[in-house]
Amino acid sequence: MKLKILQQVFQGLGNNKVRTLLTTLGIIIGSAMVILVFSAGAGFKSYIEAEIDSYGSNAVFIETRVPPTTQALANGVSESINTSTGTTAVAITSLKTRDVADIKRWPNVADAYGIVIGQKAAAYKGVKKNIMFWGSDPGRFQIDKGELASGRFYTEREELGLSQVAILGYELARDLFGEEDPINKIIRVGDLNFTVVGVYEERGGFGPHSTDNVVFIPLRTAQKKILGIDHLVTVIAQIEESDAAEATVEDIRAILRRNHNIDDPKKDDFLVQTSAQALNTLGAVLAGINFLLIAVAAISLLVGGVGIMNIMYVAVTERIGEIGLKKALGAKRSDILSEFLLEAVLLTLLGGVAGILSGAAMAFLVSKIAASYGLAWDYIVPLYGIIISVSISALIGIVFGVFPARNAAKLDPIQALNKE
Amino acid sequence: MLIKLENITKEYHNDDIATPVLKNINLSVREGEFLAIMGPSGSGKSTLMHIMGFLDRPTAGEYFFEGENTTNFTDDELARIRNERVGFVFQSFNLLPRTTVLNNVKLPLVYTHGKNIHGLAEKAIAAVGLGHRADYFTNQISGGEKQRVAIARALVNTPSVIFADEPTGNLDSKSGGAVMHILQELHRQGHTIILVTHEMDTAEHAERLIKIKDGMIMDDQPITARRIAEPDGAINK
Ligand SMILES: Nc1ncnc2c1ncn2[C@@H]1O[C@H](COP(=O)(O)OP(=O)(O)OP(=O)(O)O)[C@@H](O)[C@H]1O
Ligand SMILES: [Mg+2]
Repeated sequence: MKLKILQQVFQGLGNNKVRTLLTTLGIIIGSAMVILVFSAGAGFKSYIEAEIDSYGSNAVFIETRVPPTTQALANGVSESINTSTGTTAVAITSLKTRDVADIKRWPNVADAYGIVIGQKAAAYKGVKKNIMFWGSDPGRFQIDKGELASGRFYTEREELGLSQVAILGYELARDLFGEEDPINKIIRVGDLNFTVVGVYEERGGFGPHSTDNVVFIPLRTAQKKILGIDHLVTVIAQIEESDAAEATVEDIRAILRRNHNIDDPKKDDFLVQTSAQALNTLGAVLAGINFLLIAVAAISLLVGGVGIMNIMYVAVTERIGEIGLKKALGAKRSDILSEFLLEAVLLTLLGGVAGILSGAAMAFLVSKIAASYGLAWDYIVPLYGIIISVSISALIGIVFGVFPARNAAKLDPIQALNKE
Repeated sequence: MLIKLENITKEYHNDDIATPVLKNINLSVREGEFLAIMGPSGSGKSTLMHIMGFLDRPTAGEYFFEGENTTNFTDDELARIRNERVGFVFQSFNLLPRTTVLNNVKLPLVYTHGKNIHGLAEKAIAAVGLGHRADYFTNQISGGEKQRVAIARALVNTPSVIFADEPTGNLDSKSGGAVMHILQELHRQGHTIILVTHEMDTAEHAERLIKIKDGMIMDDQPITARRIAEPDGAINK
């Protein structure tokens, strides 16, 4: 019995292709937008996580900072400000190579290295570029996940000997050397000559996060020969047992307090964070971004929903005469309802599938574009995105397709017929 | 008796003002009759026919159809009667647009249950002489042909009675004549036909004529000088 109704629905859809297309289009756009937004959100999240992960898992970040108390004295505010971000004039010079050595010796610490950062012009054969240089001891190569495209890392001997050797980021090597092989060539950084010993593979990342434009040189070379300092900006340590990470972070704080002669934790001139904690900080940012994405998704669903609603409403109003005719020819109220319900289900299924496919295709495009910028952007179509988009557009389609039809089905056949 | 109306009254209520449209109608129609209903515009012809055809319910009175009192039938029971036991032809054809002749004629069968419906639509289309138009879309045929499709649709479930509300109202005299020929032919084969018109010429194709005015039956007479319509629409007296 219902089979005849289904046939009737297919016949109606086929005979009214424009109406069918328009109705489906609303659902397609609505669900495609949601899929796109959720997929892009998941991709962005994967990029941020990969970014953190590239520092090495189980990493602990130690940064200098102005102690909250001193700072409060200095300018009457109590938030802490990282010196590494350069937002304060007070330079903290207490983080030293000796701290790194002491942290390294701690049982649960596998390795640690210190970093200083600076900016200089780099030049090769008339090509000149402003670059960041990172001075770090070779311990970095044990922890950091970056791999070399060619050449080698610099050695402990070169570190201790203040050698002028450098490893180039991918993009910088390309910009300075083009097709030429940079290995064993001499570049100029500031006023000094450096021999290029290695080139990194492309790492991606955006803006200040990208290390593809960085020159990596031995720590002591950077401290003594370029910056004229003996302190560090950041220390990165690798933990062996991640279960004990919290305790180890506490131990590192104790080491630093002892070395820096601090007895009150409120006067700490450093900040120690595990990568998980750093992730949490970023997690707050991500939560904000997620909220934004959900808002965008909600708006696109609303827009799509209003579209579906409109078209369904017009379609049903336009079809009151048809409903009257069918009733006059013997259709029961339930027959009319089944017809509209089946039709709405079919259209939302059709539109939903098409919407998912086109949304996924657009998201794929976005991931390709992100990848072309060198971002480690995963292409993910989250299941919850599919479920949410399809169920909401189906709900809208069915509600706004069936409710007006329900009212129309209630009309006397003659009333409905005369509505035309 | 096929149809028996007893004291049928119909009122419309608009803003608490009751407008009586049908007043105490008593009418009987036997099986096999060809009845024409005439009257001025607004006299209640269509309203009466809609009530007889179960498209509308009376405000008061009793309606016996094939011996059954249908006054308290549910909507679904009425839908079933409309589907299987009566057929309608409307002045404005009321065909589904963008749909073939065959599928239009098949439409009532979608709502028919427990009956072999195979071949019924084709038979009905042949009966109105449109076998060669079965796969045409309704926008590809003439007005006269449209009304013949509507007759085929009314016929498809072999109903006890066919109601036609001004079936020739939108047609020129020639295609109107062809439609009347088909109705007369169906009557000859034993169908009961109830026709509403306000043209005497059209009414004279029937056997019995009822005149209504202001919702009341004023006159009920057999037609003595009957007109006969030819297949090509020409009319003889
Ligand atoms: N839904 C309604 N509400 C109020 N009054 C109505 C309604 N339907 C019909 N009427 C009134 O009932 C009266 C009879 O209408 P009906 O359609 O039966 O007339 P008719 O004899 O068929 O006229 P015509 O020859 O113009 O088709 C008219 O005065 C009309 O205005
Ligand atoms: Mg009328």
